[in-house]
Amino acid sequence: MRTSFGNFILNSTNPVPMPIGIYAGLEITGASVRQSVTDAHAQSEAILALHERFNTPVMLTAMDLSVEAEEFGCEIRMTEDEIPSVIGRKVTDLSEIDRLPVPMIGSGRTAVSLQTAQKLLSIDKGIPVLGGVIGPFSLAGRIFGVSESLEISLTEPDTLKKLLEKVTEYLISYLTAFREAGVQGVIMAEPTAGLLSPRGLSQFSSAYVKQIIESTVTPDFTVVLHNCGAKLVHLPKVLEAGAEILHFGAPMDIGQALTQVGEDIILSGNLDPTGVFHNGNPQEVTARTRELLQATAGHRNFIPSSGCDIPPHSPLDNLAAFFDTIRG
Amino acid sequence: MDTKISEIFNAIVDGDASAAKQTVQSALEAGIDAEIILNEGLVASMKEVGRLFEEGEYFVPEMLISARAMQAGMNILRPVLIEQDIKPSGKVVIGTVRGDLHDIGKNLVSMMLEGAGFQIVDLGTDVAPEKFLEAVTEHKPDILGMSALLTTTMSNIKATIQYFEEKGVRKDVKIIIGGAPITQSYADEIGADGFAPDASQAAALAKRLMGKA
Repeated sequence: MRTSFGNFILNSTNPVPMPIGIYAGLEITGASVRQSVTDAHAQSEAILALHERFNTPVMLTAMDLSVEAEEFGCEIRMTEDEIPSVIGRKVTDLSEIDRLPVPMIGSGRTAVSLQTAQKLLSIDKGIPVLGGVIGPFSLAGRIFGVSESLEISLTEPDTLKKLLEKVTEYLISYLTAFREAGVQGVIMAEPTAGLLSPRGLSQFSSAYVKQIIESTVTPDFTVVLHNCGAKLVHLPKVLEAGAEILHFGAPMDIGQALTQVGEDIILSGNLDPTGVFHNGNPQEVTARTRELLQATAGHRNFIPSSGCDIPPHSPLDNLAAFFDTIRG
Repeated sequence: MDTKISEIFNAIVDGDASAAKQTVQSALEAGIDAEIILNEGLVASMKEVGRLFEEGEYFVPEMLISARAMQAGMNILRPVLIEQDIKPSGKVVIGTVRGDLHDIGKNLVSMMLEGAGFQIVDLGTDVAPEKFLEAVTEHKPDILGMSALLTTTMSNIKATIQYFEEKGVRKDVKIIIGGAPITQSYADEIGADGFAPDASQAAALAKRLMGKA
């Protein structure tokens, strides 16, 4: 289904720069990472600060992949300066999965994400707003343990599928809440699925992302499926999810991927967020961005972006170099 | 290759922990030398797993279950190796640095190193420089491995190396580092002895540093 956000991208005269990462905005507002992931005001201020500074054509809420797992009851480690991490495992076997309740949306920090989106929409600048959510396999991994979920994808696939059914039900509710808030879509981050084989990705990620997309996407609400670990060999299986827009990380050969997907699917990515945006300098960012633009030249169905979330404390000059290079 | 050795090899490459345990036991009972079981069974099979990963045939889940199978076999073999005083390829102390709780990369490296015949002392995650020093003093490893996934914690690799320098023990151990934000140039900049971009290459790097590659 072609959505209004998809049309916005395809009808733009020039490439639409869409780096992922609100944490750079904290360099402008002075808030901490902790404040930005616990307080909708602090988060929306960081996003708006980036918009004011760089005239960002799309506003994204934070990519914080602990939000949903915390709502499921996982323990979180949160510090002032770090994006929160999930600690330990909430469930370890089938019986615990069976007993795991599916939480209510808004019972934890999903409320912060939804309120942030509402604040951005209320400013009514006519700028598309996308929410940030986790994907089903990545959420299952945070609840069951990443290594353990990867292992049982081969040894106990039915146990993993039970957990995936629960997180899928939850994510459908979460995306529905975002849609009802009025955002143009979400970026669904499914990084852990990039560690699976293509067959595993098909079975344990795309099959469930597809259910979520079929239950939530409308002409005014899109799903951008992000997988920063996927390589070209995964591409046909990522496509099975049926997302209108796919967002990839540095391991993906974007030029080849564009050739393979044709013009109907919109691709996005894939400058290394750490190597280029965080550790690089403006000259390097300019050079890598030019290379990306050359590799994707002539493809209107491409959104230049970082390949994943840009880490906190990445220099704003590097972001400026990215926007300046794309805008010529 | 001896039939019993090839059964061990296949069990590990297939990620079958139960079969790995049984085949190692069976090989020992048949009187096959423990060092041959180690080198031609366990080490050779994990080398094959590394090759399959590098060639894109295996992915992380396949590596993980093969490593588990190797560990199941090693649990049977280890007492015999100790009894016969068969030395490992080297000893490695490994951990994720202070402030960082991510362990999948570090665990994969541990497993691949163990599969390459190294003895592993795994300190877990969120390891302070003082803890690394304590472990190096106690275990006297050939190699210290440090991992960081976050840009906010990678500086703690450098801090740990500096701490070792301040304490005058930096030259006592080879230091290898890895993790998503780490590059060869960062390793060079902070004075690490080696960097590997993935677990399979970390095992090869450790062997090179031991002069066994």
